[in-house]
Amino acid sequence: MRAARTAYPLTWRIMDALEGVAAAIWPARFRRATPYLMLLPAVLLVGLLVLGLIQIADASLRTLDTTTFQFSDDYSIANFRRALTEPLFLVVAQRSLVAALIVTAVTLVFAFPYAYLMVRTRSPGLRKFLLIALFLPFFIGQVVRAYGWLIILGNQGMVNEALGLVGVAPMRLIYNYPAVLFGLVQYMLPFAVLMLAPALTAIPEELEAAAGSLGANWVRTFIHVVLPLARPGFVGAGVVVLTLSLTDFAVPAILGGGSQDFIANAIYDQFFRTSDQGLGAMLALMLVALGSILVGLVFALFGAGTLAMGRSRT
Amino acid sequence: MKRFKPKISHLSRRTFLQATAALGGASALGLRGVYAQEPEKPAEIIVRAWGGSWVDSLKAGVSDSFTKMTGIAVRHDLTEDNEIQPKVWAAVAQKRVPPIHINWDTTTNATKSALRGVTEDLSDLPNLANVTDLAKPAGLEGFPIVNTYGYVYVLAYRPAAFPDGPPKSWKDLLDPKFKGRLAFYNDGIGFHFPAQVAGGGKLEDIPGNMQPAWDFITKMKAQQPLLGEDPDFTTWFQNGEIDAACTISTNAREARKNGVKIEWVVPEEGAKFDTDGLWIPKGLPENELYWAKQYINHALTKEAQQIWLDGLGLPGVVPGLTPPKDLVGDPSYPTTEADFQRLIRISSKIQVENESEWFSKFKAIMQG
Repeated sequence: MRAARTAYPLTWRIMDALEGVAAAIWPARFRRATPYLMLLPAVLLVGLLVLGLIQIADASLRTLDTTTFQFSDDYSIANFRRALTEPLFLVVAQRSLVAALIVTAVTLVFAFPYAYLMVRTRSPGLRKFLLIALFLPFFIGQVVRAYGWLIILGNQGMVNEALGLVGVAPMRLIYNYPAVLFGLVQYMLPFAVLMLAPALTAIPEELEAAAGSLGANWVRTFIHVVLPLARPGFVGAGVVVLTLSLTDFAVPAILGGGSQDFIANAIYDQFFRTSDQGLGAMLALMLVALGSILVGLVFALFGAGTLAMGRSRT
Repeated sequence: MKRFKPKISHLSRRTFLQATAALGGASALGLRGVYAQEPEKPAEIIVRAWGGSWVDSLKAGVSDSFTKMTGIAVRHDLTEDNEIQPKVWAAVAQKRVPPIHINWDTTTNATKSALRGVTEDLSDLPNLANVTDLAKPAGLEGFPIVNTYGYVYVLAYRPAAFPDGPPKSWKDLLDPKFKGRLAFYNDGIGFHFPAQVAGGGKLEDIPGNMQPAWDFITKMKAQQPLLGEDPDFTTWFQNGEIDAACTISTNAREARKNGVKIEWVVPEEGAKFDTDGLWIPKGLPENELYWAKQYINHALTKEAQQIWLDGLGLPGVVPGLTPPKDLVGDPSYPTTEADFQRLIRISSKIQVENESEWFSKFKAIMQG
């Protein structure tokens, strides 16, 4: 006897139809390739980036003729030579690199206790507060935050007004290198905390308790147990902060007062101020190379940390 | 190297002349029905402009009256002039319709576009018959750009910081009390040429020998000046961050309108005089090109110039304009030959060909 149609719900029939369509498009014999299919969007995205890089590489080997503002048909290494010999580019490269290293070190020092407290606290209220304080800056954005510092630290800002109340004359707190470093650390802190937190969560609390029961005080526990086990988090956070700081544009532009340019600012100038896209492209490639070398160095020395998804060297 | 010689499209020129003649006759006779012979009107034309009081003045003086006259809406695109340039260049190279109809641009930047061959020729605008020599871009063939006004990079200062009277020379800024209290453009634009004179050099030596300028700028670097762009100067004066700056008089005037006590002078070494202009990128449909040209033609009328440039406080290119009351006799609003003798004007061609090197040199000094 044939079953009543109502015995087979409509939603099931829709699902059957969808499965039929899926099977027609992607037959079962292709199932082993399914994971690779899932990778396709990422591969396409990276492929597009590579295409862009190839185009940038092509542009970087062409020189600008300032009588026609056209680029040469021939390739040359003139832009490479300029990038390596002009003092301006050496100064901004050195400044960017030193800043990236300082910001990474300071940010990791500040981020660790924050992440540790957030992970280990037994107070749900405190954990929520720390999470909100962590995510709030993400909703504000880098440029607005940098302008916020101008308002707070400017000559007529809140800090100078407070200093004025105790008789201290207004002082220049922004438009200098320390202000840029300060702005970058403040910007990078949430990234570092977010990268450190999973690594700290993965450290069993029992290990710290065991160290304590064997007579280690909190300093020895911290140095010999927590820090080594948190290394993957430090590596992941360090790489993210290092590369973001090295390539930053907005904070040096806004808090640097025009005299604390990073490499990204120099690239912008070449693309948009002097119309020399060839030299801008060369500087961009060199920045990519510098960042890649630094990251490679970190991976070689410390492993890939949390970025290796649990397969890091320990 | 690719070479390009700008040329005029005969079709567009003929079409334009026919339509312009029709429009001129119609205007003279007051016959609005002749519009039927004109190319189809676009719903809007897009004009790239600078923000703040700059675009407000353009809107009040040119765009609103153009819309009233033609019924075509004008949209102002506030993309930075430096950032729209590569987009327009890419559109023309790829034979796409450019993202704007008209670019309001510095003459130096516009000259780069003209040399690259991405600008339409504007020689056939009827109102060019009534403009001064200032409208003609120096060193270029025809009118790939129409200059619409001039401006001066003055020495703007807070009078309270100069109790002994206004500064007379750019060298006055080397006084140690101004350390950290000065501002210049971040590429040094406006300051290279007066620095050449203040450093003991000659203007005739530009661009061959500018060492005096670099020496003077190096001395100025010790004053730890702030480096920024147009909006920064107004903000810095308002927030009490600086006492003096080399900036376009419009920015200083804007700060004064906002209640800041600020004055400006042309120092004894002189001050750079330059121009801005309007141009049309290649690649527009014929009818849109026609109406874009009409917009620029309208911007060259005495009525439009008077309102537009009253807002900016700058001298125009149409004879008989009346200076704003607060700028009568002001060195930033030159009107006579004697006024211009105090100003430094270097051809756009020299500036364009050497600008990249000058910017790099200035930056290398200031970033060092």
